[in-house]
Amino acid sequence: MWLQLNINFSFSSLLKGSLQKLPLSVAGLALMASFTTVNAEVEQDELGPRIEIPESSGKSCVLPEDEIRRKHPDMLKHDRILTLREGVRAKADGNNLDGSLKQCINCHAIKDDNDQYVRIDNDKHFCVSCHKYAAVTIDCFQCHRDIPEGSSNFHALSGHKNTDFSSVTPGSYGLTVKDMANIAPEVSSDDK
Amino acid sequence: MTSKIEKEDLSRRNFVFGSIAAAGLTVAPGVMLYQTANARDLSKPVSSKVRWGMLIDTTKDVDWNKCVEACVKEHGLGNEEHSRADQRTQYIRVVDVKNKTTGYSMSLPVMCQHCEKPPCVDVCPTGASMKREDGIVLVDRHRCIGCRYCMMACPYKARSFVHETLTDQKTTTPRGKGCVESCNMCVNRVDNGQLPACVEVSEGAIVFGDLNDPESDISRLLAKHGGKQIRADLKLNPGVQYQGI
Repeated sequence: MWLQLNINFSFSSLLKGSLQKLPLSVAGLALMASFTTVNAEVEQDELGPRIEIPESSGKSCVLPEDEIRRKHPDMLKHDRILTLREGVRAKADGNNLDGSLKQCINCHAIKDDNDQYVRIDNDKHFCVSCHKYAAVTIDCFQCHRDIPEGSSNFHALSGHKNTDFSSVTPGSYGLTVKDMANIAPEVSSDDK
Repeated sequence: MTSKIEKEDLSRRNFVFGSIAAAGLTVAPGVMLYQTANARDLSKPVSSKVRWGMLIDTTKDVDWNKCVEACVKEHGLGNEEHSRADQRTQYIRVVDVKNKTTGYSMSLPVMCQHCEKPPCVDVCPTGASMKREDGIVLVDRHRCIGCRYCMMACPYKARSFVHETLTDQKTTTPRGKGCVESCNMCVNRVDNGQLPACVEVSEGAIVFGDLNDPESDISRLLAKHGGKQIRADLKLNPGVQYQGI
C-alpha cells in the first residue's frame, strides 16, 4: 500500500515537474529513488535470521561445497545401507566411503571456548547449525556418536526439540535467506 | 526338567535350558586356538562363501564374566541410567545350569546364536532384523521400529530393547532408544580382520572362524570333536556351537 502511494506521489510530482518545465530526468531520478528506498528496507529487516557457518578447516570435503550441501542426505542414506547390510566399508582405494557419518563428525566437530567438542544439543554443532535454520530434525544422533571417538563430554538429548528458537533474532546470524538461495541455486530433484 | 537357572534377575530369560540337560561330562580336549579372520576387501560386499561361527568350550575353566566385560567395553553397553537390571542390554549373559539329581553344575555364555534360519528375521515387519551374507545376524536400526516381535521370536532370548535415551555411544556400535539390539558378533572387528571381543579374552575357550571353510580351525575342531547347538531340535542351525553341554 505504501509502495503504491509512493508511486502515485512520484507520478504526480512528475506531472507537476513537467508543468513547471523541470527537466524530465530529475523527475525520473526521484521515481527511482522511491523504489530503491523500498527495496533497501526489505533487505535489511524482512529476510529472516542469518546463520553462522563454521569455518572451513582447510581440508577439502569429499565433494565440492555446493554439491555436498545438496547431496549429503542421499549419500549418507546410500552408504549406510551399503555398510550395514552389505558390509562394504571402504572405497576401492581403501579410503572411507563418501557418506561415512563417522568421517563427517571427525572432520567437522566444533570445539567451544573451553576446548571441548560441542554436542548435538548445542546450536554450534556443525550439523545443528544448518538443520536448525532449515527446521529439519535429524535423528542420526539418537544412535550415532555426535563427536569424535575418544572425547567423552556428554550431550543431553538429541534433536532440536529443546532448541530455544526464541533466541533467533533477525539479523543476528551471518547468512540470510538470500544467501541460502545462492548456496543451493538449483532446486532440481536428485531422484531419478 | 533337570536344570535350573540360578540367577534370579534373569528370570524373564528362563527358558530353553531345560533342554541342556547337563548330563554327561563330554570333555573335549582343549586345544588352544586363536584364529585371525582374514581381512577381506572392504570395498566389496560380504559373501555367503563365508559363514562366521563360534565354538564355545564350556569345559574350560574360564571366567565367562570376562567375556561379558569385554563385550560391554567393546560396544559401550551399560550406559542405561534408569532401566532395571533385567531391562538393560545384554549381548552376552552367563547362564548357570545345575543337574539336580547329580548336583553337577556348569555355566556357559549365551549370546545371539547367529542362526542360519533366524526366526527374528522371519518375523520382522520392517526388514530391520537381518542376516548378513556371511551369516552374522544383526539389527538395522535405521529400519527398526521397536516392535520387539523379534524378542518374542528368538528362542534364545538373545535380544534386548533400549528403553531410554542413550548418550556417548561408541562410534563402532551406534545404539539408541526404541531399537532392539543383540550380539552382532563384533561385526566391526570381524570386518577389520580382528576377533570378536569375547573371543579375544576367552583364553582359547571360544574359537571363532569360518564354518564354510573345512580348513579353518573351527571346522577342524568341529569335525574332530563335534559340537552341540542349543535347541538343535528347532533346526535353526545356529552358528554358535558348544562343547561340554
